Amino acid sequence: MSFDLHRPATVTEAIDLAQRLSPTARYIAGGTDTIIQINRKKIDPAHLIDVTCLPGMSGITETADGFGLGALTNYRAIETHPAFRGGLRALIEAASVVGGRQVRNIATIAGNIVNASPAADFVPALLALDAVLDIAGPAGRRAVALRDFIVGPGKTDLAPAEIVTGVRFARLPANSATAFLKEGRRRAMEISVVCVAACLTLDADGSRCTSVRLAIGAAGPKALRPQKAEAYLIGQTAAQSTFAAAGQLAAEACAPISDVRASADYRRRLVAIVVERALTTCLERIAEERR
Amino acid sequence: MTRKILNIIVNGESHQVPIELHWTLLQVLRNEIGMMGTKENCLEAECGVCTVLLDGRAVNSCILLAGQVEGRSITTIEGIGNPEHLHPLQETFIECGAVQCGYCIPGMILTAKSFLDENPGCRPTRDEIREALAGTLCRCTGYRKIVDAVAAAVERMSISGQHQ
Amino acid sequence: MSVPNYRVAGRRLARIDGVGKVTGKHVYAADFKLPGMLYGKVLRSSRAHALIKKVDTSRAASIPGVRGIITSADIPAVRYGQAVRDTTVFALDRVLFTGHAIAAVAATSLEAAERALAAIEVEYEDLPGLFDPEAALDSNVRIHPDWESYKALPIIARHGNISGRSRIRVGDVEATFAEAYRIYEHRFTTALVHPGYTEPRVATADWDASGNVTVWCNTQLPFDTQNTLAEILDLPAARVRVSVPGIGGGFGGKLRIGVEHFAALLARKTARPVKVMSTSEEELTSALPRQASVVLLKTAVDKDGHLLARSGKIIVDCGACAGSGPGTAAISLQVMAGPYRTGALELEGIAVYTNKVPSGSFRAPAGPMANFAMECQMDMIAKDLGLDPLEIRLRNIVRDGDAGPSGEIHKSVSIEECLRKAADAIGWHDRNPEPGRGKGIACSWWMTTGGSSGVYVKINPDGTATLVSGAVEIGTGAITGAAQILAEELSLDLTDINVTGVDTQVAPFDYGAQGSRTTFSVGNACLAAAADLRRQMFELAAKQLDAPVDGMVLRDKHVVAGSKSISIAELARISRLAGGGLIAHGTAISPAPPYDPTRTENHPLPAWNSPSYHAHAVDLSVDQATGKVTINRYVVAQDVGFAINPTYIEGQIEGGVAQGIGQALSEEIAYQDGRVMNANLTDYKMPTAMDVPDIESIIVECRSAAGPYGAKGVGEPPCIQPPAAIGNAIAAATGCWPRSLPMTAEKISAALRAERT
Repeated sequence: MSFDLHRPATVTEAIDLAQRLSPTARYIAGGTDTIIQINRKKIDPAHLIDVTCLPGMSGITETADGFGLGALTNYRAIETHPAFRGGLRALIEAASVVGGRQVRNIATIAGNIVNASPAADFVPALLALDAVLDIAGPAGRRAVALRDFIVGPGKTDLAPAEIVTGVRFARLPANSATAFLKEGRRRAMEISVVCVAACLTLDADGSRCTSVRLAIGAAGPKALRPQKAEAYLIGQTAAQSTFAAAGQLAAEACAPISDVRASADYRRRLVAIVVERALTTCLERIAEERR
Repeated sequence: MTRKILNIIVNGESHQVPIELHWTLLQVLRNEIGMMGTKENCLEAECGVCTVLLDGRAVNSCILLAGQVEGRSITTIEGIGNPEHLHPLQETFIECGAVQCGYCIPGMILTAKSFLDENPGCRPTRDEIREALAGTLCRCTGYRKIVDAVAAAVERMSISGQHQ
Repeated sequence: MSVPNYRVAGRRLARIDGVGKVTGKHVYAADFKLPGMLYGKVLRSSRAHALIKKVDTSRAASIPGVRGIITSADIPAVRYGQAVRDTTVFALDRVLFTGHAIAAVAATSLEAAERALAAIEVEYEDLPGLFDPEAALDSNVRIHPDWESYKALPIIARHGNISGRSRIRVGDVEATFAEAYRIYEHRFTTALVHPGYTEPRVATADWDASGNVTVWCNTQLPFDTQNTLAEILDLPAARVRVSVPGIGGGFGGKLRIGVEHFAALLARKTARPVKVMSTSEEELTSALPRQASVVLLKTAVDKDGHLLARSGKIIVDCGACAGSGPGTAAISLQVMAGPYRTGALELEGIAVYTNKVPSGSFRAPAGPMANFAMECQMDMIAKDLGLDPLEIRLRNIVRDGDAGPSGEIHKSVSIEECLRKAADAIGWHDRNPEPGRGKGIACSWWMTTGGSSGVYVKINPDGTATLVSGAVEIGTGAITGAAQILAEELSLDLTDINVTGVDTQVAPFDYGAQGSRTTFSVGNACLAAAADLRRQMFELAAKQLDAPVDGMVLRDKHVVAGSKSISIAELARISRLAGGGLIAHGTAISPAPPYDPTRTENHPLPAWNSPSYHAHAVDLSVDQATGKVTINRYVVAQDVGFAINPTYIEGQIEGGVAQGIGQALSEEIAYQDGRVMNANLTDYKMPTAMDVPDIESIIVECRSAAGPYGAKGVGEPPCIQPPAAIGNAIAAATGCWPRSLPMTAEKISAALRAERT
């Protein structure tokens, strides 16, 4: 592999460089996807633009409305963030299974999102929180919902030279919990065979579902919010039977492929099982919180 | 290809190394600075034998571009101890029989050190140790004695009251 | 059993190369470099089976930095190989598997070498590919059309796509089947798995002014590599020097030529040193993995579960070259017979060519494949007869003096002790069925490979001893073990033994770090050398002390004669000045035990030297919905004869079981239409630290007659039983009987669903 590496000092400089050097320039952050793809000859950029030193793209901030994650936040920072240990635990659970610790110490959330692997672990967790991405580019700044941002395997809504600067999501309402579960062929260092993030909100009694957000990874060309499954649960009793039914609906909504990791059929079955388990875990967490 | 001078601190020593911009930190450490203790294998961040500490935290040097760590501080296995003064982890890895072929050991020791340094004074469970080490593969030992060694190092470091 | 009072042997001492390895100072072949060295890379076929119409290197040759390119046209057409000499350095008129080497390039940088590879043009004409060994058996397509012209070991029986066929026949199986109480017939399949060493295969070669070549590499068999290189280079072996600076794991995957020949040929072509290192992708497509296999087993029993007769056939997929396929197919027969008394046997092992990667001798070749079939069937038989799986085994195991499958006599038999200890440790009699949780047991026996070893030992004037051996320390601690034996015999400490590096120019011959033989064989050679050194020291001391040799002993680094003594160091100093020094050599060879040749046919390894016995027991849980397996506990009881260093024996057990768990549950080099689909470590799933529980080792010591202090081979056995033990536990947990490796969650969940319908 052979390329030039540029290290701009500001976001404006970075965007400028990207425009000038396009089309064979790419942004690089932790490199945990980019360098591997270059080595495997999947991409061959002549220029890499290092964004790891750009200001204003780091840190986890908390406001009255919700949370903001700088684009350069690495997975280790997420999995050790105290504020995510409660209702937002899915973020920690998803972050903690991205590669091994070495990868998590440098891989960034934005890099992972923009890489848009259908099997990305953190994307479903953010999708289940209706995350919004902040983007800067030649035409200025804009925001786009994560669910509209990823359009297919390796493909996003980014225009040339645009760069993701941050991710944000709203606080959870009361009586809510999240959970993230992953199935793979071994317990660590694994690309998901299927992964599921769930965000459940119950009514004041803690018995009926008032809001359900499910996100399924590795079971289609991009992470999916299964709308029928979500809609079905609204107003239903939060129980094993309804969760199982929702799991079936989610499985039907998926379009998994067969590959060396698993067959499409097995993935679909796993979706049903894991959706049910993720929702059950949310229910247990809400109950525990209420005690 | 244009060469640039990379300023980098390795094991406390400053280096100015002419590099090609596509070189990884692993290539610079082994080929330019002569730190052969950091090993090469998969070159895809899947096996961990290339692990070094970047500002004290374990990273895979095989996918980190050297140009991206300008001015930063790197610790390799050579930097944590030597035959006359072994780091507690180096001592316990020998004592517990955790070393067989040894090829993964520099990376494994640094992965462990990064973990222990994050929470000085804590006593991790064996499961927590396993989780922390999961990014470094060993094919020889089955991991049991490696976990023994890390647990023993925790005890030794807390007894000596210091964290190196 | 009385335990002798050993000072050094038998103790948990730190390995002698530990400090170098934990400080990063230990030099591995991957670290070795020479000034002015070029980087070599190999162009490999992208087709599985095709004629080569054209290879055009002209564009590649003009790429800046390229210093030399070689193809089959540039080298003599030599065929090499252990059992069958069918392998060539480069593909000749055709490629036989995806990954087959076609050309090699040396350049001033890796990037230039890669650009050169991309610029070499190859024109192929596809041939029909044979990827299934059973299809290859029946096919008219010949993967080696000239197979008849190949030389092979006389013992090997070959024909067409069969690269080796061995048989063991005892008694009358058909007649026994006719009268049996029950007969069980099953088919099992196992997958291709990679040894998974963390240091890729690598070699650096340099020619000197006299036309001799030195290769620094990570081979497990430096003398075999030396011989093969000599053939390829058309040189006398003495002109080829192989040196192993250090090796990051082997497990049998680094026995045979890997990249040494490319390095040597490129270095000769360019007149520069050349280093060639395999990539991860090359390791997973063009290395020497464990063969995939099909095992067909038919077993007859009486109503009490006694094994009356067994007929078995194993089809070993050896890939495009025979490699160790014929040997593996043969050894599988003894594994299939198991440590059991069986009235009649008709066992056949067939190694078949296919258009896939040539295979090798990964740890216990044939072991896990044949044992998986045999021990899973044992449990199926037990279940059908209503017998406890432990009990059925105890009813059938061999005892001291029983004849084995080839008519050899079982001695120092400990299989009952191993089974009972493993069963007790896992809590076998408390197998309360809890949904989804089960316990499984499996046992086996295995050889200690023979072969010869030589060592030189000299005593230094400071009282230390230097051990020169041709055996590579591949990580097992075997050389530390041999050094402990030497130290024991010379009344020295382990830290007094210096072991030199391995260099074929200097070291005596050693059959190699393979087959669980190193401590056994090098240890015996050390015993011989030590005996000679004792004699020399006593004779010299007799003069110095004016005392008779009779009654002299070595104690505390001194020769002691009654109330007089003289230090070993002093004797070494005196001897150096007066007589050339205290130096000795020792050799060892284990003669193969007698057996009955009428029982075996074309079997290259019919009788096992100093076999060991072992049993594994596992407690696991299966997620009834997803099929995922969680191993709760894993126990091994292994007879090691005498534990020279218990720490490293446990290390072999723990590591071998981890590899076995990988083979059992997740590892597979997955081929589709002749291409490997998972040629990277992302998708070749070896166990991480979170996938292996704390393996519990029970060391059993039933002394061998031939091993040093009664030791038996240790390294290979631990990876034999895991697939069977785990398979049996999965069956106990789910009621579903796995028949194919790996036993993935997907397969288990499918079997559970089928069971429910």
